[in-house]
Amino acid sequence: MFSHAFEDVGKKLNIRMARHEQVSDALIRDSEISEAFRELGKSFSEEVADLIKQSGPGNIYDAVVSSQFDADRLDYMQRDRLMTGVQSSGIDFTWLLANLEVGTLSTGVDEEPLGEIETFVLAPKALRTAEALILALFQLYPNVYFHKATRGAEKVFTALMLKLIALVRSESTKATGLPDTHPIVKFAREPEDLGNVCNLDDAVFLGALPLLMNAEDICVKRLSTILRNRELPKCCDIREHLIAEIAPKRPTTNEQRNELKVRLEELEIAIEAQLNHWSDEKSTTVPRLLIDRTEREPYKTFQESKGPLNQIRIRDMSGHILDMAEKSPIVAAIETFKLFRVYFADGDQDAKLAIERITNDVLKGGGHGTK
Amino acid sequence: MVQNKSDREKAAAIVRDAGGQIVGRTRFQKIAFLLELAGLGEGFQFEYKHYGPYSEELAAAISSAAILGLVQVEDREASWGGWYSIYTSTDKSADIVNQQRQTLAHEATKIGAVELELAATAAYLNAFEGLQDAWTETARRKPEKASQERLARAKEAYRRLLLIETPEKLPAII
Repeated sequence: MFSHAFEDVGKKLNIRMARHEQVSDALIRDSEISEAFRELGKSFSEEVADLIKQSGPGNIYDAVVSSQFDADRLDYMQRDRLMTGVQSSGIDFTWLLANLEVGTLSTGVDEEPLGEIETFVLAPKALRTAEALILALFQLYPNVYFHKATRGAEKVFTALMLKLIALVRSESTKATGLPDTHPIVKFAREPEDLGNVCNLDDAVFLGALPLLMNAEDICVKRLSTILRNRELPKCCDIREHLIAEIAPKRPTTNEQRNELKVRLEELEIAIEAQLNHWSDEKSTTVPRLLIDRTEREPYKTFQESKGPLNQIRIRDMSGHILDMAEKSPIVAAIETFKLFRVYFADGDQDAKLAIERITNDVLKGGGHGTK
Repeated sequence: MVQNKSDREKAAAIVRDAGGQIVGRTRFQKIAFLLELAGLGEGFQFEYKHYGPYSEELAAAISSAAILGLVQVEDREASWGGWYSIYTSTDKSADIVNQQRQTLAHEATKIGAVELELAATAAYLNAFEGLQDAWTETARRKPEKASQERLARAKEAYRRLLLIETPEKLPAII
């Protein structure tokens, strides 16, 4: 439930073991999993761990584990749709697999050619199904993964974990309401210990909430109460507000689209800085504002961090192997999903007014001088 | 008053200091990495990715720099069918530039993209993963790129970079 937000905590505190890839790697190399793998060969667990650790697929087998058409994505898109009950975003998994082939692809680094590699490629008849797959993900972002209530709860979780870890590290465990032996306390003390990480899960965190609600520390008490009683913070969608103000009608030319991008970026940077400043100044215990500014691409064009096998390829009627963004105008036109929201406590009228004032002031000023 | 540079200004400054132009996103990332390693960087954090050391923050920063016009980006079709980018600095300011930084960045722009990737990867594996025989591990991880000839060229290019005086010595892997 909180795995992504937990990774965010790890990023902020530079905790290596908060990254799920790091935990998987350690478990595969040295745990009962590696014991079980030993039957398949002395170095089998190392090979599996190396494959999972790869950043971007190095060969066609890696692409099954990690790519934009990997087994994980094909699974979670169907599972999350089912479990959340959304009726849109369905995919035709059977048709996709029935049209999956292996082809060869020329590769290079920057302008320099390298040679050919094997890649998964979808047959021409799967074009519309592949488009639907990518569009489904585009819709899952706002509808499920970046739903404002979910993100609000995640922001509260992150703030709570950061406070808990800070208290434990400053020898103030007593103020958290947790016993010394609690898994969260043990993790805060030794976050790089694999055992401590494995002992943390949703049940442990949710089970801790009643204890945290009785904490001496006001911030811990309030944030845990918000989660336990589902008194989620109110959300103000700054990006939507900005778009409504400066470009209620969608731009039609590339030039207009770029202008809007630049303008939004400048305004958002300026507003974010001022909101952070206001919150830092006005918060005594609980952060008055929780800012959420992020983006996701439903289909990533070629990225140097992942390599060529990360792409979804389709064969055209002439046998050319193309990137989906080269073949499909819909996929090529999909824009990055961006959000800029700010959360504040229900009833915190000052915070609400400050958000409105800062946003409107920056809008009037044009967001200049923010480079 | 001295103002702190934003990430996008730092990213754009790398292009400016490399002689005003860098061909290729991979080259851009590896040059930035080598500058960090040599103590001449901008504080970007690098991780091991598909093409060796890579900074997500830097990629976002240069993209943001392009949106705001701090660099120009031209995308061209490569002979092998893919695309590559050319970054050109739009910075006409007379900022005081570190000579060592300029020399290292400019020298690195002359290295072939694959050779630079191999050299930067070996340097990364030594500096961040503590591998003594970093070239062997580089060859193991990048079999499709690390032919004997390319490795020899990568080592020779790295040897030239080692000759440049820098605040931190680049890993002595040769």
